[in-house]
Amino acid sequence: MKKLIAMLLALVMVFALCACGQQAAPAPAAEAPAAEAPAAEAPAAEAPAAEAPAAEGKVFNIYAWNEEFKGFFEKYYTVPEGVTVNWIITPSDNNAYQDKLDTTLLNQATAPDDEKVDLFLAEADYIQKYADSDFTQDITALGVNDFSNAYKYTVQAASDENGVVKGVSFQCCPSALIYRRSIAKDVLGTDDPAEVQAKLDSWEKFEAVAADAKAKGYYMTASFAETYRPFSNNCTSAWVDENNNLQFDDQILAWIAQTEKFCENEYTLADSGIWDQPKNDQMFADGKTMCFFGPAWYFNFCMGNAQDPEKGCSGDWAICEGPAAHFWGGTWLMAPAGTDNPTLLADIMNTFINDADVCEKLVVNEAQFSNNQAVNAKFADDPSFGSEFLGGQNPVAVFSAMTDNIKWENHTIYDQACNEGLQNALQQYFQGLVDKDTALNNFYLSINEKYPDVVTP
Amino acid sequence: MGRKLKPRKTGVSYAKWGYIFILPFFITYFIFTLTPQIMTIYNSFFENYRNGLKQIGPNFVGLRNYVALFTPDKSGTIGMLKYFGNTLILWVMGAVPQVVIALLLAVFFTSYRLNIKGQQFFKTVIYMPNLIMAAAFSMLFFTLFSTVGPVNQILLAHGIVEKSVNFLGLKISVRILISLMNFLMWFGNTTILLMAGIQGIDQNMFEAAEIDGANSLQVFFRVTLPLLAPILVYTVITAMIGGLQMFDVPQVLTNGKGTPDRASMTMVMYLNNYLGTSKNYGMAGAISVVLFIVSAGLSMFVYNSLSKQYRK
Repeated sequence: MKKLIAMLLALVMVFALCACGQQAAPAPAAEAPAAEAPAAEAPAAEAPAAEAPAAEGKVFNIYAWNEEFKGFFEKYYTVPEGVTVNWIITPSDNNAYQDKLDTTLLNQATAPDDEKVDLFLAEADYIQKYADSDFTQDITALGVNDFSNAYKYTVQAASDENGVVKGVSFQCCPSALIYRRSIAKDVLGTDDPAEVQAKLDSWEKFEAVAADAKAKGYYMTASFAETYRPFSNNCTSAWVDENNNLQFDDQILAWIAQTEKFCENEYTLADSGIWDQPKNDQMFADGKTMCFFGPAWYFNFCMGNAQDPEKGCSGDWAICEGPAAHFWGGTWLMAPAGTDNPTLLADIMNTFINDADVCEKLVVNEAQFSNNQAVNAKFADDPSFGSEFLGGQNPVAVFSAMTDNIKWENHTIYDQACNEGLQNALQQYFQGLVDKDTALNNFYLSINEKYPDVVTP
Repeated sequence: MGRKLKPRKTGVSYAKWGYIFILPFFITYFIFTLTPQIMTIYNSFFENYRNGLKQIGPNFVGLRNYVALFTPDKSGTIGMLKYFGNTLILWVMGAVPQVVIALLLAVFFTSYRLNIKGQQFFKTVIYMPNLIMAAAFSMLFFTLFSTVGPVNQILLAHGIVEKSVNFLGLKISVRILISLMNFLMWFGNTTILLMAGIQGIDQNMFEAAEIDGANSLQVFFRVTLPLLAPILVYTVITAMIGGLQMFDVPQVLTNGKGTPDRASMTMVMYLNNYLGTSKNYGMAGAISVVLFIVSAGLSMFVYNSLSKQYRK
């Protein structure tokens, strides 16, 4: 009797273990019919939807790191009937988005059609990693070949070293100097964008004004890294040269020198990174900071404190080009190699750069600066078009004038690690916590951990 | 029962059932612990990483990863030793008060003379912090002690400081915060373990000691502590292994950077750096192996030195 019970117990335990192992196996099988269900309905619906040829997949997978493009896509793009769009959204924190995307791309060749990535989004800081690889494909071959209205740098950014275009951006991100009108009046005696621009059109003038602002009790900027992009976008050499040596461009050195001065004289907040709360607090009406830098997406979506109905100061802002033309961020739609929906992919890309109607809606409804020069020109010339936040100023006109000066040069796959690594490491130096050599050494260590190939000084 | 009287066959052994019952553990151990461990050691001899989307290796490189680990960088510091030192400092700062206070509390709670009321309540309360996720706990401290956080606001409002203190930028305050969090999270757990240990000691021993005229201190050092040694050794060793693997609290508090100047970067955070962008399994493997050897060595040392009396 005892023996029987013991035997039974042992068997139960073994089976419990086996059950754990087996559960994983039938799962895909159970999933498959669910995934097939829309496909099964498709034949009936296919006749009217001419856009999805029968040979192409019925599941369209989009990889993204936030909901921004998803919102535009769902509002302004009509997916052909019978096609299911899957959004795989992974936040970028700690590189999670790229980790996930890379794993999928590396398995793209062997993945079943319905699991292949069909479109993914990439940001300026790491777009080169994908554009310069075999994991993306030539979009001109897919039928996206009219770039006449797109801004040149957005096309260059998505091209590989031979000039083969592999993606498009639905936005153009020239970054402006965003200033508080009331503080500008106090410091510069004017809040007119043209006059402010004339007083801040070089770094020498910018630094001189910073001293004046300080004398009146204001900060020039609210983060030690605020002026990083205006410098780094104008580099004349790449972060890593052809022999894999890490090098500092003169523009980067100029940023370090300026920031040393700004932190020492308290023209800026050394304790605050570009996304930190101390900086954001400065956007309230009782803030003491005159200048911020950012593109359309920044002042429309990241300056929530300034737009706060009670504590904010909407309308007390204006934009001008500032000391150096530059861009910041931007989202590109990239075409992965091996997608089973090439026609749909090309159609989406064409819609977001060449469909004037959609681009207009992006400008009017979504406060974007579109990647369509003809559409932007129309709004730039429209005197009735203005932003309430900017006190009625027409941002499209300002941005349109800035686009010619934006450069896309000297970018490498190492940009993100270098830009972020340098700012992180040097902040401790600017705060006076470590000396410069230690900070730079910590920067090199972080690069070596991420890219063992790069030779650091 | 008539059955009991029947003569039994002498050859039946129930030992095999024992083996069958422990088999599931060994199967899972083999699949999920031993195999990865051996794979880690194997991987540590290879160059195997990603450069962007390009996979480099795996190429056999012998001990090169280990040599790289112990090669001084430009400033002359050996990264591995620095992070080992950090880990050790953070652990000692947290574990010493943890064991001392846990021991005190355990003695108080089990003392029949003090006879503390509401023990269940206190036990629950001191165990509470352990229920919070380390990451959430760390995030809470990050917010509390940021330059614009409530702690600074209180200090400023009462005129204790003139300018907000950058708690997360100073070596000493970051280390204290990390140790404090680890202490708060684990002292309840240790207390309960030690209480169980003390309750396992025969009460007659205490009474006998008192009848012989020992005071409370003598009872503690001459009776409680020696008899508690096995549990104490167990507590210290598990705390040490946990301490060497310290990761979540400093990782979240410093956003993975080990600020300032990598002074709060632990060995596992260092390992994690290699598993990030570069997926450098070679170097990460080498760090794991070093970590394994160090933990094993230290555990043996602690076991031998603390349990010497007990084994006699």
